[in-house]
Amino acid sequence: MNRENKKRKYDKKYYRTHPCTDSFTCKVCGWPVVSAGAGTNHRNHCPNCLYSIHLDNKPGDRESECHGRMEPIGVWVRKKGEWAIIHRCVRCGKISSNRVAADDNPMKLTALAMRPFGKKDGLYPGCFFPEGEL
Amino acid sequence: MKGKEKKKEIYQCLNCGWTSIIREEETPPDHCPNCLCSIHNEDEEGNECGGILEPVGIWVRSEKEWEIVQRCRFCGEMSTTPATEHDNRIKLLSIASKPISSPPFPIERIEEMTRLMGGNTDKGEI
Repeated sequence: MNRENKKRKYDKKYYRTHPCTDSFTCKVCGWPVVSAGAGTNHRNHCPNCLYSIHLDNKPGDRESECHGRMEPIGVWVRKKGEWAIIHRCVRCGKISSNRVAADDNPMKLTALAMRPFGKKDGLYPGCFFPEGEL
Repeated sequence: MKGKEKKKEIYQCLNCGWTSIIREEETPPDHCPNCLCSIHNEDEEGNECGGILEPVGIWVRSEKEWEIVQRCRFCGEMSTTPATEHDNRIKLLSIASKPISSPPFPIERIEEMTRLMGGNTDKGEI
């Protein structure tokens, strides 16, 4: 086990190839997050509010000194048809994407995907062209 | 007359071949108005990449401000570029509606699923 701890400390790409099983408390909404039930070994965002923390420069290296909150700004579809959440760091503006986990809040996910079509006070927010002018 | 014509620059998209004339007062667009692709000049460390940045998503930044999220086909880095009014609107809306066409969970059971995970079921702001 000591050898494993040493590896974790000095191998920069340790978390790229090894699962991270630490549990954490979401810094944004306070949700207690455990690693089980995600359907993935690399959970990086809170399943309730979908926020993440900017820890990595490249996947798994834990080298970033920013540690800002990463806001979910959208979803996109990967080649295999699975969804991935696009995160943007509130502090430095870095954009990254991560696969959705099995236990992510489906209501929040759908709200993210439907954002460009949302209506607020009878207007389409963000839509710079009128409805009939497509 | 010919001299005036020579001053016009032509923007050509390297992905779809769309050409448009850039007038003197305009700056060249940073993405193609037809296919919304652009060229990835260099990555974060300053290395040259040269891959094609494909549009993968729409980010609603604020009211009346949309940004196109692009991903490099070659190195996988992501970046954003502001959408302009010259952009292909059908392409914009098709990118925005792509996730909805392939939901990862049954949409009709969404409320039940949210309650099962103990999450917030109100449909308020995120």
